[in-house]
Amino acid sequence: MILIKCPYCGERDQSEFTNGGEAHVIRPTNPKSLSDKDWGEYVFFRNNPKGIFYERWVHSHGCKKWFNAVRNTSTDQILKVYKVGDKRPDLSDFENTLKSPSGEPFVGSGNFAVKK
Amino acid sequence: MSAINNNCEYIKKKQINITFDGKIYQAYEGDTIASALLRNNVRLVGRSFKYHRPRGIYTCGIEEPNALVQIISEHNEPNTRATIKRVYDGMEITSQNRWPSLRYDFGAINNILSPIFSAGFYYKTFMGPKGFWKNLYEPLIRRSAGLGKPPKNFRSKSTHQHHNTDVIIVGAGLSGLIAAKKFLNTKYKVLLIEQDSYLGGVLKNSNKVKSINGLTPQEWISETEELILNSKNITILKNTLVTTYNFTNHLIALEDKFAGKKIDLNKSELTLHKIRTSNTIIANGHIERFISFRNNDLPGVMLASSFEKYIHRYGVVPEKEPVIFTNNSSSLSLLKKLISLGCKPKAYVDSRKKDNIETEIKKFFKNNDIPFFSDAEIEGCDGNKKIESVTIRQGKSFTKINSSMLCVSGGYNPDIHLFTQSKGLVKWDKNILSFKPDTPFQKTITLGSTSGNYSFKKLCDEINEKLSIFKTKKVSLDISLNVPNKFSIKELWETKKKNNSNWSKSFIDLHNDVTTKDLKQAITEGFDRIEHLKRYTTNSMGTDQGKISSINSLAIVSKILKKEISEVGTTTYRPPYAPLSFAAIAGRSTYEFYDPERKTSIHSWHKKNNAIFEDVGQWKRPWYFKANENETMYQAVQRESKMLRENAGILDGSTLGKIEIKGRDALEFMNLMYTNAFTKMKPMTSRYAMMLGEDGMIKDDGIICKVSDQHFIATTTSSGAPKVLADMEEYLQTEWPHLQVYLNSITEQFSTFNISGPKTREIMMKVFPDIDFSNDAFPFMTFKNFDYKETKIRIMRASFTGELGYEIYIPPKFGLELWEKIFSCGKEYNLIPYGTETMHLLRAEKGYVVIGQETDGTVTPIDLNYNWMIGKHKKDFIGKRSLSRPDTSREDRKQLVGLSPINKKDIIEEGQHIVELKELPKKIKNPIKYLGHVSSGYHSPNLNHSIGLAMIRGGKNLLGQKFFVTVTGKTKNIPVEIVNPVFIDPENKRLTS
Ligand SMILES: [Zn+2]
Repeated sequence: MILIKCPYCGERDQSEFTNGGEAHVIRPTNPKSLSDKDWGEYVFFRNNPKGIFYERWVHSHGCKKWFNAVRNTSTDQILKVYKVGDKRPDLSDFENTLKSPSGEPFVGSGNFAVKK
Repeated sequence: MSAINNNCEYIKKKQINITFDGKIYQAYEGDTIASALLRNNVRLVGRSFKYHRPRGIYTCGIEEPNALVQIISEHNEPNTRATIKRVYDGMEITSQNRWPSLRYDFGAINNILSPIFSAGFYYKTFMGPKGFWKNLYEPLIRRSAGLGKPPKNFRSKSTHQHHNTDVIIVGAGLSGLIAAKKFLNTKYKVLLIEQDSYLGGVLKNSNKVKSINGLTPQEWISETEELILNSKNITILKNTLVTTYNFTNHLIALEDKFAGKKIDLNKSELTLHKIRTSNTIIANGHIERFISFRNNDLPGVMLASSFEKYIHRYGVVPEKEPVIFTNNSSSLSLLKKLISLGCKPKAYVDSRKKDNIETEIKKFFKNNDIPFFSDAEIEGCDGNKKIESVTIRQGKSFTKINSSMLCVSGGYNPDIHLFTQSKGLVKWDKNILSFKPDTPFQKTITLGSTSGNYSFKKLCDEINEKLSIFKTKKVSLDISLNVPNKFSIKELWETKKKNNSNWSKSFIDLHNDVTTKDLKQAITEGFDRIEHLKRYTTNSMGTDQGKISSINSLAIVSKILKKEISEVGTTTYRPPYAPLSFAAIAGRSTYEFYDPERKTSIHSWHKKNNAIFEDVGQWKRPWYFKANENETMYQAVQRESKMLRENAGILDGSTLGKIEIKGRDALEFMNLMYTNAFTKMKPMTSRYAMMLGEDGMIKDDGIICKVSDQHFIATTTSSGAPKVLADMEEYLQTEWPHLQVYLNSITEQFSTFNISGPKTREIMMKVFPDIDFSNDAFPFMTFKNFDYKETKIRIMRASFTGELGYEIYIPPKFGLELWEKIFSCGKEYNLIPYGTETMHLLRAEKGYVVIGQETDGTVTPIDLNYNWMIGKHKKDFIGKRSLSRPDTSREDRKQLVGLSPINKKDIIEEGQHIVELKELPKKIKNPIKYLGHVSSGYHSPNLNHSIGLAMIRGGKNLLGQKFFVTVTGKTKNIPVEIVNPVFIDPENKRLTS
């Protein structure tokens, strides 16, 4: 169980939180002006990268506040948490751990247990 | 063949009795089941998983693959490792997986049939004919393959305990104790965890260590334990096994509170420790591995260091004259100990070349006249249910020796389970021929043999260096040994059989009955990736996770594939390290503590009045009320439904979710969240409203009361309330933070009664004589607040039954009193209580939908003919844009219609399909055109025939047409007419009267 640092409460068990999918997907202010394709893009499509991912979490069994986090999806390391409305951290702020062709970092991912 | 007792300081010579398979045996306090059985010369303790081969005790610890037993005296606890479970007086144990008895096991025929049980046999053998798997093969396999039987009548009282520490040390052996010593009286909060009931680990397994700082190992352990107990910063947990190492240094450990004692059912027998730490030190040692040879599973084969452990820890020499088979230098201490006890091994077989064998060992054989075979191996062993003879191959010659026990050492594996669970990388070490920890992923340090360091002499240096990141003092110990410090080993995984035969097998996984031949066959069939091979052969997939054999299988596979072992890689080590009882995981979350039960303020009245309850989310809601003992549910619901439409009925609706929405921008927020337009709605009126997802599909419904533009009260479905509140919060926080709106769940703050039926107005006037309930003063879909006694109530004119109805909201404290008052007033009008089932029937008659019954996440308000609920002139609301997507506005979407049977006696069943065929073919070859499904089906007592609500493709345009509804278990369908879903009062005269 990973530890997540709620920006309002501090570090808590993952079981207190709910994941809310990709962050920085902004609801269009004028949906009517969007084509069916663009609207469908907003409603149904989300990124799911292996590696660094900006995502939303809510401290559902705590302060109930939403916030954003940067997580390495192949190691589950949470690299940064920040409040809704705060500036999105730049990708270059984080060490690029995607070392192998499949996007697996050597240490911490499930697929490589043996050091080559 | 016989065992002897020797003196051992950990065994109290207090005799106790245990029973095994009904027979009484004498044991000592401190014994494990295994040591007690060995003391009594019991070698056969179980039957194997697949072939039912006789099996004995193979090890002396957690790694045991064979000796799994059932503890009858502990609520029938199955699959207990006999090698770690401590005995107490009166303990009742049975063997597993045998019938009718352990010695004469009928399932042993599987051994003869074994050619069909080879690798992948589950996938290959039981393919057809159709239906045979479910009815014949599976029950048969389940009966004959397997282990113990599940516990009975058991209520666990296990508890969970949480820890937050700076350092956790796993294992209180030599390395763990030295590490703990370094932390003595420092600022670090340390948790030292030991799986045994005493400290010392490796020091207690053999006499390899002669002295530490001039003290005997036992004296040193006691001294160190004393120091730790007197320190303020180190806590010891004994009888506790670390099973899991998760992300972010989160570890789980299981403590056995009753190790060696009879379980007190009134107390917690297991504690699950959940530990958060900053640093983890793993010092849980190593595990000896075996070697595969012909019949290496016969009772009597035992790992050499385990044999040695029985002597030192339990004071039992399992056999006076065993044969010892080794490929490394570690077995010397066992040899020395046996001779010091006056025992003489029948032979010592060492696969190493004579030149590579330590001179001290060689000297020993000469002096003690022990048959010694170097550069030799065990070809196999033979016997009936036990070893009778052992065949040694040396060069081209074979020697057969009669002995009943064979001690095997194939080398040591660092116990890397926890390290790999923590996602650290391991590396192949050519010197010890095993994987050892390399790059950690978390703040993890491995010490001693866990890290691949088998040298006692280098231990202190290693620990001082690795713990130098902490502010601790250096420790130095003077360790002197009884054996050479250097570890030497020759690669040997499997010995060659003299003759090929199907009957004698060479096992690689004793737990799951996987042979070395299975590995070869699987590779031939193309399963050459280790993860695939593991699953195909079930190798190392038993409850022991192949602790003594998994590295061996990697080595054998690498030889077949002609690859390096590090290229083959390891399979993934997954938690738990050893089986974790479900009782421990569940902790106190069992039975009534598993999930809270929510009861309304009227619950006691419902019980008194013979309500049968239904679970709705966590709520207990009356389902129906029994008028008498013999009344069935069907009869009760028919009665309630008829009575309500004739007179009046009352429903406890307290479980309905209620959310208060307040603030400057409440109106704008509500207009965005719900489909309806609230701007022109008058204060103190209410409206049926729908909430959609962004995809345009219905998520929830309810009645919205508008108190003012700044104050709304929304009701939700009973089970949807938390989700609706969470969704509202989400939009407020993430999409519209500029809106000033506050939300509050007020579900529990009110008891809610729904009273409806033609006589309702009279009843209400009698209960509340001061209130004007006339249609003009109190029209449909309005609400008012009143003072009632010392509290305030809110009454709303609304109905879910289609009859004249009111909803009363009152603080729960006054709920029951008012409920009873309504009943005393309603008696002369034949007022009845009704439950959720009648509610569902009545609303179906009226064509009202239930979210989750008519809808399933793919239904829009337009599909339900609820276009009137959509605020078309609103610029935006959640889901609005999606309603004009091509797929959402399709004409042939499934739409809500009513079904009426043409033959009025036919019954329309819920969940049935609507088709064009009068009769289904006997054998269905081609798919049958499907038009839709029956979402609700009831017998309407008010229409006196069956009715249905259905979701049918393009249903809106099919009114008046004839189709067919399928019937359970029959090919003949029933003819139905598509009708308006509103069966009762389509003009809403009753509602608004
Ligand atoms: Zn929080």
